[in-house]
Amino acid sequence: MTDFLNLILEPLQELFLRFKAFLPNLLAMLVIVIAGILLARLLRAVFVRFLKAINFDSWSDRMGMTTLLRKGDLWAKPALALGAIVFWALVIVVLMTGLSALKISAIDQLVAQFFMYLPRVFSAVLILIVGYVLAGFISRAMLIAAVNSGFHYAKLLAEAIRLLLTVLILAMVLEQLQVAPGIVLAAFSIIFGGIVAALAISFGVGGIEAAKRMIERETVEKRANGAKDDIEHI
Amino acid sequence: MTDFYQTGIITTLHSLGKPSLERLESELTDFSKTRPIALVLPALYSEFEGPAMPGIVRELAKVRYLNEIVLVLDKASEKQFQGVRDFMSPIATPVRIIHNDGKRITEIYETLSRNGLDVGQRGKGRSAWLAYGYVLARERSEVIALHDCDIVNYSREMLARLCYPVANSNLDYVFCKGFYSRVTNKMHGRVTRLLVTPLVRALQQLIGQHRFLAFLDSFRYPLSGEFCMTIDVARVNRIPWDWGLEVGSLAEVYRNYSPRRVCQVDIAATYEHKHQELSAEDPEKGLMKMTIDICKSIFRTLASEGVVFSEGLFKSLSVAYLRLAEDTILKYEADASINGLEFDRHEEAKAVEAFTRAITQASKLFMENPMGTPLIPNWNRVTSAIPDILEMLKKAVDADNT
Repeated sequence: MTDFLNLILEPLQELFLRFKAFLPNLLAMLVIVIAGILLARLLRAVFVRFLKAINFDSWSDRMGMTTLLRKGDLWAKPALALGAIVFWALVIVVLMTGLSALKISAIDQLVAQFFMYLPRVFSAVLILIVGYVLAGFISRAMLIAAVNSGFHYAKLLAEAIRLLLTVLILAMVLEQLQVAPGIVLAAFSIIFGGIVAALAISFGVGGIEAAKRMIERETVEKRANGAKDDIEHI
Repeated sequence: MTDFYQTGIITTLHSLGKPSLERLESELTDFSKTRPIALVLPALYSEFEGPAMPGIVRELAKVRYLNEIVLVLDKASEKQFQGVRDFMSPIATPVRIIHNDGKRITEIYETLSRNGLDVGQRGKGRSAWLAYGYVLARERSEVIALHDCDIVNYSREMLARLCYPVANSNLDYVFCKGFYSRVTNKMHGRVTRLLVTPLVRALQQLIGQHRFLAFLDSFRYPLSGEFCMTIDVARVNRIPWDWGLEVGSLAEVYRNYSPRRVCQVDIAATYEHKHQELSAEDPEKGLMKMTIDICKSIFRTLASEGVVFSEGLFKSLSVAYLRLAEDTILKYEADASINGLEFDRHEEAKAVEAFTRAITQASKLFMENPMGTPLIPNWNRVTSAIPDILEMLKKAVDADNT
């Protein structure tokens, strides 16, 4: 009977001992997570205040960043939206740090992978932001130049350039994040190559006559210039 | 039926004979192929609970030539906004409702505000301005017509006559103002009859012939809320957000276009809508507030045209106005008498006294601050500050309507 009881109690005792050993880790994780979330909230408040002080919202409106949020049906102020992004990024970091305090090897590996992946995420976000601003700037500059030179389809051209640049930026971002890099590279090459090929064919085929006229005019002018040289003036 | 006499420096399109509505609408359907027409309706939610709106929706449901209807709904909760969407559903023309109190439109206003663009307080002016922005953002209409939503005796003929001069490209008008007589068993329209017309004529007496005064005096009903314009007018005109909306809008049209391209059209034999209380003792309410804002708007426009105002001029103006307004009362008394209309001379005299006080008050306010109420910047100015604002506005309205 005692053996039978031991058979039941021993695993329970083992479980209790393990839990006793695990409890400090769990408490450490809870402390890290709670303190981390509080710190993240504080940092968010400071960060948002800083953004407001430098008129980030207004800058964002003029640079087209606000439009990006609105396109995603996000109607918070840009500073608050960025504050929320920073907050949740910090919460994820805090959660990962907290999980590492549990000292479970599987989780440790996951956490290590996560922290190794972070620089890629940062650079991808940077590419996205800089790329978006740059695409907007180039597209607007192209629109102004095309309108000033009387091009009828100026807006269409500007939008096409913005689209091409957006495709390029998204491909760069996905490549940076290592999301199916082979597929992204192939898809990008096909799409971008296809667009360039289509443009080359349309302009090439459509411009045969124009090119022919230009070459003929050039030749005629050269001949005329050559003939002029033969004339002797007094 | 009116006479065919042309007054002033703008064209007056009368209602002569018996114009056929079917012919008008048929021609408008043709015109709208090259000049698509948008109808802007600034409305308060309370107007949907009144007697006018059901009739307006019933009539608009029969109209086929409109390209789009943009209703700007003010003072409405989310639930009420959904209710209005259902209310407008019988209309076949695509209807977009701008929910002025919705979170997306509120954020649009905040975006404008943080970029130093003052769009003023809520009201018809700001609602109309926002609706123009949405029509510009959609890029689907070439002509914008606007009328109030408190017209009890609304008929689609009003809309057809209002749109016709601008939609018809052969006529080459860029702005058309509606006029009508506001007569039931008595004459209404006190502010136009007893304030604007005598004030403009008193100013003409004092400062001599001035083209803006001649322009303003050409309108039979300068305070009517019904007008139609090309999309370019909506793009370049600035709008006052206070009660000076109608006069201020005319001043902007005067500033930007030749009177040759401006007309007024007789849109209805009678026109019935809500009547404002005089509130003679309170300059912040009712007709007194409206009167002060209108006077300030006229003074500001004239000052911007180079007219120099002094305290002496304002003192003479009050006296000259009072004399002219008293003479006007006599004319209307005779008019009422021959037509068998009720006419309370005492009430009319009291209104004139109140308007005189309002002119004095407006003069004082103008001398203290000649810049007065700023106009809402035009959309060209707004897009130069925030290039994507129209796209944002379009996104906000479309998201609210899905």
